[in-house]
Amino acid sequence: MTESRIYLQRAKTNKLVEASLLDEVTDRHLAMWEGSWCPAMEAYCEGRTAGNQPEDHHWDWKWKADEWRPLLGYHSFAIVCEKDLQGLMLVSDFKSARLRVQFGKPVVYVEFVATAPWNRPELRKPPRFRGVGTVMVAAAVELSWELGYRGRIGLHSLEAAERFYRDHCGMTKLGKDRGHQGLPYYEMTEKQAERFRQ
Amino acid sequence: MKIKPMKLNHSKQWYEDRIALEGDAEIGAGTPPGVRAKTPAKSKVTPVDTRIAFGTFVALWRRNRGWDVAALAEAAALDPQGILEIERDPHYEPEPDVVRKLAGVFGLSPKPLLELAGLIKPGTPQLREAAVRFAARSESVAALNDREREAFEAFVSAISKKV
Repeated sequence: MTESRIYLQRAKTNKLVEASLLDEVTDRHLAMWEGSWCPAMEAYCEGRTAGNQPEDHHWDWKWKADEWRPLLGYHSFAIVCEKDLQGLMLVSDFKSARLRVQFGKPVVYVEFVATAPWNRPELRKPPRFRGVGTVMVAAAVELSWELGYRGRIGLHSLEAAERFYRDHCGMTKLGKDRGHQGLPYYEMTEKQAERFRQ
Repeated sequence: MKIKPMKLNHSKQWYEDRIALEGDAEIGAGTPPGVRAKTPAKSKVTPVDTRIAFGTFVALWRRNRGWDVAALAEAAALDPQGILEIERDPHYEPEPDVVRKLAGVFGLSPKPLLELAGLIKPGTPQLREAAVRFAARSESVAALNDREREAFEAFVSAISKKV
């Protein structure tokens, strides 16, 4: 397991704070997810209708971990800051690009990514930390480089997150994917990855 | 493939600038709402993914023989345009008979190819996973390189085992 020193921004002060990106989700991270992330999510969802709950409230990361651990081609990431889990991501390395300019070439595909409930402005104002999305996209792009995929990544964005992937990460939208419940599919090209890394 | 441990080496300024852009945006990606999280990751291969693999397989089989599209079309008694669509457009759904003719030229059972083309109900998830991995490892260049040839031969072997 490799640890990278990264930074998140404390929303209250707008100051950067040191954090860690781990390129493997371990049992310790899953225990943190179960011990603090889940109760915070459940507390927020209590009494709310399904339409007002976060789109990922039902994601069971512990179950997901049991699924991906025996499989080759999957890579997991965790962000830890001030001894708390701040974000989780699972990616795979065997999907193909759909954009015409890179059609058929391998991409790092983001299977799931989420930030902790206390980092979401809709759940807590102000949120605790900002920057989890940026770090996770940077990690996916970097893995893509390490694999020889030149920074190409792909993902199905949740509806509420489209602005982040389109405007802030500069990814290209390919439209809604009927194979994924109509979620919009986004890809980052080699050039877009270069710009994102600069 | 041996992968180096991944490490991020961006400057503090990079984080400052990038996080300012992120702001309070939501960032979730993955399982659609309404779909239980307990959907296995390995079953999330879609028809578009397997058609990409199918198209790549057809293109590599042809190039492995040194054939152009016209030569394959002639051997299978098919329209060259249809073969081009299969190789390049994952949203193109070929006719079952077209896939059977191609399987005949390839010397393979049509069943796994029909499955990859999304024309029959998926019954062999391992094959589909192998197919997608194979497609991802294959770049579109003029001649097969060693890595592509190795992937191609392994995939032909995988298809043959499923017959």
